[in-house]
Amino acid sequence: MAQNREEMPLDVLFVGGGPANLAGAVHLMNLAKEKGLELEVGVIEKGDIIGAHSLSGAILDPIALKELVPDYMEKGCPIEETECRDEFYFFTKNSQYSVPFTPKYMHNKGCHIVSLSKFTRWLGELAENAGVNIFPGFAGTEVLYDSDTTGVLGVATGDKGVDKEGKQKSNFEPGIELTAKVTVFGEGPKGSLIRDIGEKMGIFSGKMPQVFETAIKEVIELPESSPFLSGDTTVIHSFGYPFGLHTKGGGFLYRMKDSMVALGLVVGLDYEDSGLEPYHAFLDYKKHPVIEEVIMGGKVLQQGAKTLSAGGYYTMPKLAVNGALFVGDSASMLNIQRLKGIHTAMKSGMLAAESIISAFEKDDYTVTTLSEYETKVEQSFIMKELKAARNFTQALSKHGVSQFVHVGAQFITGGRGIFDKMPIEEDSSTLEKMTPAQVKMLETPSAREFDGELYIDKLTGVYRSGTQHEEDQPCHLIVHDLNICAGECYDHYRNPCTRFCPGQVYEIEDSGGTRRLKLNPSNCLHCKTCEIKDPFKNITWTCPEGGGGPNFSIT
Amino acid sequence: MDIVVLVKQVPDTEALIQIAGDGVSIKTDNIKWVMNPYDEFAVEEALQIRDANEGTVTILTMGTDKAVETIRTALAMGADQGVLINDPAAEGSDGLAVAKILAAALKDIPYDLIIAGQRGVDDDGYQVGAAVAEYMGIPQASLVIKEEISDGKIKCDCSIEGGTVVTEAPLPVLFTTQRGLNEPRYASLPGIMKAKKKPLDQKTLADIGIDPSTVGLANRKVKIKALNPPPERKAVKMIEGETPEELAAALIKVLHEEAKVV
Ligand SMILES: Cc1cc2nc3c(=O)[nH]c(=O)nc-3n(C[C@H](O)[C@H](O)[C@H](O)COP(=O)(O)OP(=O)(O)OC[C@H]3O[C@@H](n4cnc5c(N)ncnc54)[C@H](O)[C@@H]3O)c2cc1C
Repeated sequence: MAQNREEMPLDVLFVGGGPANLAGAVHLMNLAKEKGLELEVGVIEKGDIIGAHSLSGAILDPIALKELVPDYMEKGCPIEETECRDEFYFFTKNSQYSVPFTPKYMHNKGCHIVSLSKFTRWLGELAENAGVNIFPGFAGTEVLYDSDTTGVLGVATGDKGVDKEGKQKSNFEPGIELTAKVTVFGEGPKGSLIRDIGEKMGIFSGKMPQVFETAIKEVIELPESSPFLSGDTTVIHSFGYPFGLHTKGGGFLYRMKDSMVALGLVVGLDYEDSGLEPYHAFLDYKKHPVIEEVIMGGKVLQQGAKTLSAGGYYTMPKLAVNGALFVGDSASMLNIQRLKGIHTAMKSGMLAAESIISAFEKDDYTVTTLSEYETKVEQSFIMKELKAARNFTQALSKHGVSQFVHVGAQFITGGRGIFDKMPIEEDSSTLEKMTPAQVKMLETPSAREFDGELYIDKLTGVYRSGTQHEEDQPCHLIVHDLNICAGECYDHYRNPCTRFCPGQVYEIEDSGGTRRLKLNPSNCLHCKTCEIKDPFKNITWTCPEGGGGPNFSIT
Repeated sequence: MDIVVLVKQVPDTEALIQIAGDGVSIKTDNIKWVMNPYDEFAVEEALQIRDANEGTVTILTMGTDKAVETIRTALAMGADQGVLINDPAAEGSDGLAVAKILAAALKDIPYDLIIAGQRGVDDDGYQVGAAVAEYMGIPQASLVIKEEISDGKIKCDCSIEGGTVVTEAPLPVLFTTQRGLNEPRYASLPGIMKAKKKPLDQKTLADIGIDPSTVGLANRKVKIKALNPPPERKAVKMIEGETPEELAAALIKVLHEEAKVV
């Protein structure tokens, strides 16, 4: 531990204010109260308020919520639509085919449509009322280990008030060492602290590589007269266009309250086409006749992007170590087959809470007691769902029609499919080198029209995400070798970071033949696609000064 | 030195602001509320003065239940206590009525100095600070970028167009802040924990002797007729060029041909 930082001891620390940890914190307080335990519990969240960095679909399976807050409706849980009535399509460029047989896992009976940002804000209030210390605006930037790195002691928060050069400003505020008997990591997909724990304690070793998908999402306000607002359908899912059968991905459109809809496009980050620009694919998706008909006349209120962890079962890390537990998307618990991770995240947080109570009862915070959590996860619906979906992402990575054969076989066999334990390739290694024809296409982009209302360019999108960072701070995106950018990466891939980043953080400046990577870290939407997809693994994402980043409120 | 800071909770200007159906207010459901940025300067300056001279810093706010968060933020920065005037009858008051309410509350709080933000970034009224000083009958200095206290007097550098005016007045004084006064500190984690235990008094209009029928929305002297959103921000255009001369020439060209302003 660094010597000059103050220590603040807690009993339990939750890192990340997403549904996993907030459900965990509420459940922990409820259980502690029942048992007469007095616990000092804290949640740190890098967003400026709870919900500011929450972006999801989202169709909520209320299974865990019902257990946590049985009277959630009466308690004012913010629900956009109580019922999901689905349509499921295969899109071609100008047409669509209704999928006649919707697999069971795509049914959303009994589920609700929510805005995750509103939902986590509500969970945060419940937690605060239950006595949890909520600390928004604080990023965990360093894991504190015991001397031989066999256990986690807590997390240090980042310094604030440091300038671009790394010098202290007049309002410098040093980070704090938050120590706890148990630290719960719920950083969502691609957590920056769990990465370090992976390296130091090997929790991911022996597992298949973590893989991800990235989504761009908008909340659009429709004219009140829009027929979709009064129609029967509340949910439209699609696959196919704007992707072919080579790239996995799909679109979603959900009806919300107050004449709004949530619209998003998800792309598997194992895509191969170096020229692919997810933001452009999203714009194309918005122009598909089915979608355009719904959103016509609308206005984009908010835009954002986020990744989701897609690997599931075979990529799950070890869930407990001495002094720490891993929950939600950080532990690969999203069910990619259902495109749902909120319910599994919440349940995992709650199971973590139960094991933490056991640890306090036994006064033993080592993996001996904490691994009870692993057993509980194994016995819960989380594992049942993840096992059934264990080969799903792999099947969709297959090209052409063979993906349907695999998906179909898995459906019939309860997840086993044609081969079980289908291998997973790391997202950073799937890009194919650009052909001269592709380069040519990149150099002659098709013109796109933006009206500033319904169709907006990337930078307007960043503006609509409310993203704000302290400008005078060290760059939070670490590019390890700039020579790669100007050389090899340009030559083979034409710098895909300039395309896959939905916030236009990366630009290549070309002055008289010398190329240089230019970074606009203030635009960063915290989606972390860059760290995942860069073909040279040349980018590391770290937390910027706490409070910085998007200001989502309805996503 | 006892200092009172007048603080207001306002919507974050970067948050999604939408005009409500009535056309004269904004939708408040999904708004992020923050401390008025000019009040952050006020809190910071108060803390620095207190730390150099001893004494206390009291945060005085008029607002709803939510405003407790903003007072807690100020307490977490280091203020000693908070007073919230929280009464549904006060909601929608105009600048003058807010000042009247704050002035009434100040009768029960000892002070040598009052600091306020120059304006709330929500209504941009610029009135409350000045009107409170008038109600209290004390000297005021506005748009202060530097102050110095000695021998019971305060010297203020007040910013004016293109320069500063240096004023001096005997305490007690009210001054309002301008950007540049200081760099507000962050609320620290231990500060946030301590803030939970600091005193925070809530009072109604009756508690401070204000007749509800003289304030609030219905009794505004100035009524809001309409709210209009600002024009959309356009994309930035980067001027290309190698040398300063080239850049200047390119800029002139754009200003002349595209923006048509020169
Ligand atoms: C576009 C999209 C659509 C989706 N649709 C659905 C759906 O319809 N239904 C469904 O159930 N699921 C859906 N999901 C998945 C679901 O959103 C996630 O599974 C869920 O949010 C995971 O919860 P979590 O708590 O594990 O992580 P997150 O929700 O990601 O929360 C993690 C939090 O931790 C914070 N954090 C991270 N690192 C740090 C740090 N070092 N210090 C401090 N704070 C930190 C982050 O800012 C964030 O607020 C979707 C996801 C996306 C992106």
